[in-house]
Amino acid sequence: MHMEQSMGVHNEHQKEKLRTMSGFLESIRCGDCECNVDWGERRNTIASIGAGVLFFTGWWIIIDAAVKYPDEATFHHAYHTCGVIATVAFLMINAVSNGQVRGDSYSEGCIGQTGGRVWLFIGFMLAFGSLIASMWILFGGFVVPKKPVVYPGIAVFFQNAFIFFGGLVFKFGRTEDLWQ
Amino acid sequence: MAGIKALVGLSFFGAIGLTFLLLSCALDQYGVYWPLFVLFFYVLSPIPTFISRRLSDDSDVASNACRELAYFFTTGIVVSAFGLPIILARVALIQWGACGLVMASNAVIFFTILGFFLVFGGGDDFSWEQW
Repeated sequence: MHMEQSMGVHNEHQKEKLRTMSGFLESIRCGDCECNVDWGERRNTIASIGAGVLFFTGWWIIIDAAVKYPDEATFHHAYHTCGVIATVAFLMINAVSNGQVRGDSYSEGCIGQTGGRVWLFIGFMLAFGSLIASMWILFGGFVVPKKPVVYPGIAVFFQNAFIFFGGLVFKFGRTEDLWQ
Repeated sequence: MAGIKALVGLSFFGAIGLTFLLLSCALDQYGVYWPLFVLFFYVLSPIPTFISRRLSDDSDVASNACRELAYFFTTGIVVSAFGLPIILARVALIQWGACGLVMASNAVIFFTILGFFLVFGGGDDFSWEQW
């Protein structure tokens, strides 16, 4: 039944398109598919997709650097820790919902409101810390010693920056309202 | 019936996408079969959405954490399918022409999968008896 309704809408739409063909720009419509969602509900989807793009692009940047410069001398393997901690921070930040921290969610959860705040606090500290550490690695490990190949340092920095902003987008880009 | 036409159209584009992928491996000037690893990502990409649709039946709420997590992982799988050929080309395991063909294949296949979800999976009553 859903398909027949959408077919009816599609036919109406085609007739209307023929009527307004005089100005060809008038018949261009955005978001013309049969899904009846508005931009409010789309916000969460867009935020999730954007966060996914940022997060995984960060990881693929460091994979690229690790594959191009596999030896320890050009790219010290301990620098990977920064990205790992940033990922842990991403998971911690997004494990608690904003509602649980504010105290207005339906269930208390395992650790309650104060536990949620402490968890979020530690998560954000790790996130900021890994971002700062990536800048330190870039400048202290590559720029200042004037290493011949700086790309691994830049890759570490961009990995952590992307993961950090991906975490922010995933956390704050989505709304938790049950009704728009 | 629109369902059959959409199905045939989607399978055509799927075949085109896989053709691009096989071209990137099998053309004379390329010859290596590393690009076939993106098939792994193609197969994996609809799975988070299937899992989230199966697990939660409250699709009328505006925010649904499970669905958003599924979109996050699906985006990650798509990004990985684009990232892998670039990495392979950067270390000269495949040539840049093959990389370009794999990216074209990615685009076509992921649009096909998205088309499947839009045409056959959309709506609140997602069930396995859509056919």
